[in-house]
Amino acid sequence: MIKPHFPILHVWLDELSDIVKDEGILLFIILLPLAYPLLYAMIYSTETQRELPICVVDDCMSARSRDFIRRVDATAEVQIAAHCTSMDEAQELMRRRDVYAIMRVPAEFDKELWRGNQTVVGLYSDLTSMLYYKVAYLGIVNVAQELNRSIKVREHQENITRREEELARWPVRFEEVKLYNSAGGFCAFLIPPVLMLILQQALCLGVGMSMGRSRERFRGLVIPPTRHYKNAIAIVLGRGLVHFLVFLLMAIYMSVCVTRWFGLPQLAHFWDLIGFFVPYLLACTFMAIFYSGFVYRREDCILLFVFMSIPLLFLTGVSWPGASIPPFWKAVGMFFPSTWGANAYVRISGMGASLGDCHREMMAIWIIAGVYFLLSCLMYMFEIRKAVGRTILS
Amino acid sequence: MLKALNRIWLITSRELSTFARRPIFIIIMFVAPLGFLTFFTTMMGAGLPTKLPAALVDEDDTHVTRQLTRILGSMEETNFVLQTTSFTQARQAMQRGEIYAIFRIPKGTTEAALTQRQPVISFYTNDIYYIPASLLMKDMRKMGEMVGLAITRETMRARGFRDDQIMGTLQPIVIESHPLGNPHLNYSVVLSNLLVPGLLMIVIMLTTSYSIGMEWKRGSQKKLYEMSGNNVWVAVLGKLLPQTVLYTIIFWLIDLVFYSYLQFPCACGIPRMMLWGFVAVLASQGFGLLMFEVFPSQMRMAMSACSLFGVLQLSLAGFSFPVSAMDEPFQWLSNVFPLHHYFLIYVNQALNGYPISYIWTSVVALIAIFLLPQLFYYRLTDAFLHKEYIP
Repeated sequence: MIKPHFPILHVWLDELSDIVKDEGILLFIILLPLAYPLLYAMIYSTETQRELPICVVDDCMSARSRDFIRRVDATAEVQIAAHCTSMDEAQELMRRRDVYAIMRVPAEFDKELWRGNQTVVGLYSDLTSMLYYKVAYLGIVNVAQELNRSIKVREHQENITRREEELARWPVRFEEVKLYNSAGGFCAFLIPPVLMLILQQALCLGVGMSMGRSRERFRGLVIPPTRHYKNAIAIVLGRGLVHFLVFLLMAIYMSVCVTRWFGLPQLAHFWDLIGFFVPYLLACTFMAIFYSGFVYRREDCILLFVFMSIPLLFLTGVSWPGASIPPFWKAVGMFFPSTWGANAYVRISGMGASLGDCHREMMAIWIIAGVYFLLSCLMYMFEIRKAVGRTILS
Repeated sequence: MLKALNRIWLITSRELSTFARRPIFIIIMFVAPLGFLTFFTTMMGAGLPTKLPAALVDEDDTHVTRQLTRILGSMEETNFVLQTTSFTQARQAMQRGEIYAIFRIPKGTTEAALTQRQPVISFYTNDIYYIPASLLMKDMRKMGEMVGLAITRETMRARGFRDDQIMGTLQPIVIESHPLGNPHLNYSVVLSNLLVPGLLMIVIMLTTSYSIGMEWKRGSQKKLYEMSGNNVWVAVLGKLLPQTVLYTIIFWLIDLVFYSYLQFPCACGIPRMMLWGFVAVLASQGFGLLMFEVFPSQMRMAMSACSLFGVLQLSLAGFSFPVSAMDEPFQWLSNVFPLHHYFLIYVNQALNGYPISYIWTSVVALIAIFLLPQLFYYRLTDAFLHKEYIP
């Protein structure tokens, strides 16, 4: 019989055959990374709220107020779902959630405008979602500003040339450019960091489960009592390699397929992506191996890792602005590859940065990978000693 | 009857001693929910993010543009951390993630404005970072509008208009916005208020299926069944009652921190929210139990289902991205999850202070999610009697 001289290979084969037989682990390392990105991308694929139903209380009932309301109705942001005669009626619609905002045109709307005074249009918006407020406000303010310009030109500065009229409307021209997410949508902003978190969390769950399983099988030990499991480095590399390779495929699937199917921004070169994913997944794998040392039952790792995902998403500083994160939490975030990884990934994939542009993040990821690798090796050395002690005792 | 109560008590005390022996229960039941509470409330302590970093590229660099710069610097959301004359430098800072927006005044702006040649000023926001980009965009739009108006005002003053006439000319229609319930647009009110209970609800679902599944894993399910006098109701009630009490207390604690200590808006009064918290705890336990009935005696599958659905419900609840904006199938799907209904009740009650009759469907839905597993108790009985632990 050939004696296996490569303990890494041996550990690798063991781990692989264990995983393939365990449907619970497969669920987390195959199905979850395959399905979750699709689900999330589909949930947010509409990008933003369009045609938000609002109602109008028109106390003025003049040609001008009707014109104003028609213009509001024509915007992409809102649609007039109801015309009410009183605020009471409108509030009732709001309570029934038929409409999400009320626009009130005051009785003096037309008169004040003819007098050349200011008039105030009220917007009462429901804060069920911040997006409702944003959309309703944006839609109505845009119309009001446009009308303001027309009024300014037509009623107060007559007898001027067309060029002068243009200048009176727009003394200074403005260009608004939304960079990297031109639709200003949710999908392109939320999905890239979520992808990075899915990778990290699924890895932790997969490694944790397989670790818990070993502990259950070998009575509290994380390694089988055979002679191939004597070298901590070989064990960490052998076990890690299985998960690393599976997730490298998943990462490519997410960053290439999912991104393309849902039209998310992807400005990175393929090899830049690989150059990013290799250290990122190494860091995640070693972190997963180290933290799973604390998992004593297979199910415990679900309890420990699932909840972490939402706070970790906030710590990345992509969903909640990094500039507003308190320093303490910023420091906590530095210990997780996802914090650096999400920031580097959105820049590489969404903003066309090269690996060199993110050298700070890449450096941090490599350091994290190294530290967790050493920690996992130490953990396994400790476990090996425990295993040896136990075999001597028995 | 008395006998059944006695049995429930026996099972409950057995359950409590299990909790005491296992540190994971303490971590998950107390440390995690209170940790989330601290995390989210301190994380978003500022409410609305202010003074976000942006860059100002002033290629013109005249006294007029410097005045403009000063006005911009006084805006609520904007903090110009970088002032430069090179656009490339600003773009690189943006790609490094140091700033969220660039305000650019090109060369010749002052000259063009003075000679009425309509200068163009541009601003760039990085919408990969959605919240800061929208906040900065709002500021910059306002600024943009004001700059234009300031120039017209000068022209009109020169033509001899009075200031009140000028305002009526410059901005005849003013939009006065009233964000109802959360007038300061405090993000913490929106997010903490739902994320913390949402995560607690996942904790509840998971521990429900975990603690029940534990019996099969330890092979003590037959013993439990015996203790309950061969009555599934008694067994489940005895097992879950301590958790119901514990989680309700934690939920109430969260309510007190939110509405009493942090003074988040609560138009319906704190006791009312405590009642809904209790209903949400029951519904989450029902959901966890239901998952266990779907995968009887396979605790890990039940827990996996709970965690996969639980994380999904945070997105489908609709407090960050509204349900009305999602595609039809997801709008329908969101109704399956307890968090969505708790969210609707919270908005109706605490945020808006409307009568509960407007949202009775969600109350019924929560109760239905709680009661649903009762219909499938026969599956549990079957599992107690005939099923062994499946890893």
